[in-house]
Amino acid sequence: MHAILPRRDLVKAGLAAGAAGLLPGVPALAQLNGAQSASIPRDRTLVLIKNGGRDGRWVDYELWNPYSIGANHQNGPNLIYEPLAYYSAFAGKLYLWLAESYQYTPDFRQLTIKTRPGINWSDGTAFSAEDVAYTFNTLRDLGPKVKWGVDVNQALDAATVTDPNTVVLKFKIPSPRFFFFATYKYDIGIYMVPKHIFQGQDWTSFKHFDLAKGWPVTTGPWRVVAAAQSQKVFERRDSWWAAERKLAPMPQILRSIWLPNTGEQQTAQAMITNQSDTAYDMQPASFPTMFRGNPKIITHTGQQPPYGYVDWWPISLYVNNEVVPFNDKDVRWALSHYIDRKQIVEVGFLGASQVSALPMPPYKPLLPYFDAVKDLLAKYDTLEFNPQKGDALLAAKGFRKQGNAWTDPDGKPLTVVIISAPLGTFGPAIGPVVSEMLRRHGVTASLLLPPDFNDRFQKGDYVGSIYGHGGSIREPYDTLRLYQGKSIAVPGAHLVNFSRWKNPDYDKIVDEVYVTDPQNVTRLKDLFRAAMEIWLPELPDIQLVQNHHRIPMNTTYWTNWPTADNAYINGASWHLTFPLVLWNLRPA
Amino acid sequence: MQLFYIARRFGVFLLIVWLAASLNFFLPKLSGEDPVRTKLLEQASLGGYVQGGIEDMVKEYQEKFGLDKPLWRQYLAYVGDMVRGDLNYSIANYPRTVAGMIADALPWTIGLLGLTTLFSFVAGTILGALLAWPGAPRWMRWLMPPLWALHAIPFFLLGLVLMYLLAFQFQVLPIFGGYSAGATPGWTWRFVLDVLRHATLPALSIILVSVGGWALAMRGMMVTTMGEDYVTFAEAKGLRSVTIFTRYCMRNAILPQATGLALALGQILSGAVLVEAIFGYPGIGALLFQAIEENDFFLIQGIVFTVIVALGFATFVLDVIYPLLDPRISYRRS
Repeated sequence: MHAILPRRDLVKAGLAAGAAGLLPGVPALAQLNGAQSASIPRDRTLVLIKNGGRDGRWVDYELWNPYSIGANHQNGPNLIYEPLAYYSAFAGKLYLWLAESYQYTPDFRQLTIKTRPGINWSDGTAFSAEDVAYTFNTLRDLGPKVKWGVDVNQALDAATVTDPNTVVLKFKIPSPRFFFFATYKYDIGIYMVPKHIFQGQDWTSFKHFDLAKGWPVTTGPWRVVAAAQSQKVFERRDSWWAAERKLAPMPQILRSIWLPNTGEQQTAQAMITNQSDTAYDMQPASFPTMFRGNPKIITHTGQQPPYGYVDWWPISLYVNNEVVPFNDKDVRWALSHYIDRKQIVEVGFLGASQVSALPMPPYKPLLPYFDAVKDLLAKYDTLEFNPQKGDALLAAKGFRKQGNAWTDPDGKPLTVVIISAPLGTFGPAIGPVVSEMLRRHGVTASLLLPPDFNDRFQKGDYVGSIYGHGGSIREPYDTLRLYQGKSIAVPGAHLVNFSRWKNPDYDKIVDEVYVTDPQNVTRLKDLFRAAMEIWLPELPDIQLVQNHHRIPMNTTYWTNWPTADNAYINGASWHLTFPLVLWNLRPA
Repeated sequence: MQLFYIARRFGVFLLIVWLAASLNFFLPKLSGEDPVRTKLLEQASLGGYVQGGIEDMVKEYQEKFGLDKPLWRQYLAYVGDMVRGDLNYSIANYPRTVAGMIADALPWTIGLLGLTTLFSFVAGTILGALLAWPGAPRWMRWLMPPLWALHAIPFFLLGLVLMYLLAFQFQVLPIFGGYSAGATPGWTWRFVLDVLRHATLPALSIILVSVGGWALAMRGMMVTTMGEDYVTFAEAKGLRSVTIFTRYCMRNAILPQATGLALALGQILSGAVLVEAIFGYPGIGALLFQAIEENDFFLIQGIVFTVIVALGFATFVLDVIYPLLDPRISYRRS
């Protein structure tokens, strides 16, 4: 044999190549390319484990343009792009921010927004009405290419700058809620982008990430100093317009480190060992363990159940109203009567939850609307556990009980396959309880947690489902529109009618709500009541419980967390309002 | 070595890569899921609110990613991309590129699994050889039962136990991550030590589980080799015990181990999914897991294609260098 290499040399070369093969990994460890300040003590650093990471990494660490579809405002852009206004549903308060004022015309076809003068982007360029008009007009033009584009395109005709601090928005249809839509609350709001950076870029692929250039630029108090798979690091800027104008305190946090989620067990351990100051929405069962391990950990409700606050997202058992026999309101009511909500709270959430009578949260601004239908709720008690009533309703519809199972007049079992999201704290927690309750009362119920849940639920490819309602937080329109079959007031509206229930009279009322001034509570109460007079007897979906965000907060290094006694905002780090928490935290 | 043989093996290598890459294209499509819709719905319902126009957006991005085209055209485009080495964009993380995401993850996996595989190989092979050698200290025999027992435990299970003990109870090692929160990466001893410290727990769980396997295989080969005539001859010649152990026994027994090492090094690109997931280690295994969860066709295809090429190449190299490692092996036609 004619060897190309002598054997001894080959083995040596192989070993050398093997060792060299390991080296390319090392430079890539240094992919953080920021300029972090050298020594910031732990007690001025906020460490946060975020729910937005995937399997222990930030896949989106380069994506700081929140409009690209791979980006997620929850993972950092919520600190970078300041809004026209913030809204706290807990405080029931609108905080005008980049906007100084706004004014609608009486027909709600025009909106004038005055921006605050003297605000600069972090690269020194002045923020102005040009940025606002550019953001809105580009969203209108891009439509389905980017997030919120369709929503803006549906309403906006044109945004015009009339002076450096005034922008006039003309609408295609009356749009009394447009400013509120653009306001930051929970996960909804329009991110104002710097025109001088974004103009000429393809918004779908532009990353807005180059730390050497100072990108992402911001008007806020935080700059990104490092971003990599393992962590995102923000540091406080030296000056911030809002602090200078006494609109907000200058944050005491000098550095904020955002770590990706590696699993609830590891997160609990990190909280106990003070390696993290706060985290994400965790299972109720984790909290007693954390409190035992670290008495400095608190939640929105201290160390007492439900360990959190009511989210805007009440949870229901949806049944597809287009599927027989669930197109029959009596069948829906029968299912409702078979469900003991108190047991769901006790078993599914270990007592750490509360029941929900209507598909909207009992927030302060919404309480007048709950009051407006008190008598209707007494008549149509959506929380009543009464199996006898359920039996009577089914029997009246020709269902028969064979053994312990209800069958329809053709002898087929009354079957509900319930699907829910495999991740999250609601489906896996209460799905088994709900299906077991239905089974005990003769309904052939089962639970599935399919990976394509979102797709199936959205398309109506389901019979039963456990899911929430992203609806109202201030006035009832957003919740009411979740059940609209069609809208005339909003031509070409993209409706989100998960229950697939339709009622033309109800649609008309909701259209009327749409064109009513959100401040006109008296009129809205009347309309809400009229809508509920149709909705409640029909019960399109079956009300279960409120959704809670159970977030651990560590007081070892930081205090003044948002709690029930100090509810300035909700404490979710993933929401657009999280900057308010960061401004308010104080060193322990 | 004949060039014809090398060319033929290279042809087989290309054929394997093409077949595996084709399977890699079609298998994810069998799920019938639409990754664009899944991603957009997931994004849209993040906070419980489903924004308007999702269907319009789905259409827009299906067109952008070419998913609206017939399957055969998608396949041709895919093959063309693979030939050019263009792994495309990640659907779920657009505009991040698949190549960029793999480049981020690969060093961590190579660093962790490469080193642990080599360490396990060396330690396991030496231990296995000593365990079969009559002249080895007696206490070494006590090592084997625990190593075999550990070999039977899955990586991730041992990882959880180690994490509880070393990271949570005694707090001598970090719980998760590739390096400390707030550490500034760079070529400093401090950072390198930090990375090594973070790699210790996952590495330990892999090494403790793997060493037993290598040792067991080597011990078996050593027992066979020690019975060979040439070893008896060497003893009869009065050669030193160390010489017989290293040059006559170990050297001849190690060949199957070398094959195993080459394949193991090829397989490290697929990562140790569960270990990476448990320790929050940002390697390629966890990335593949995530891509499957999101049905991100392009990312799945990119990672699997990289693994296929690496495995195919490792096998090809092994085929080619076998005669050089062991002169008894020849590919000459007799």
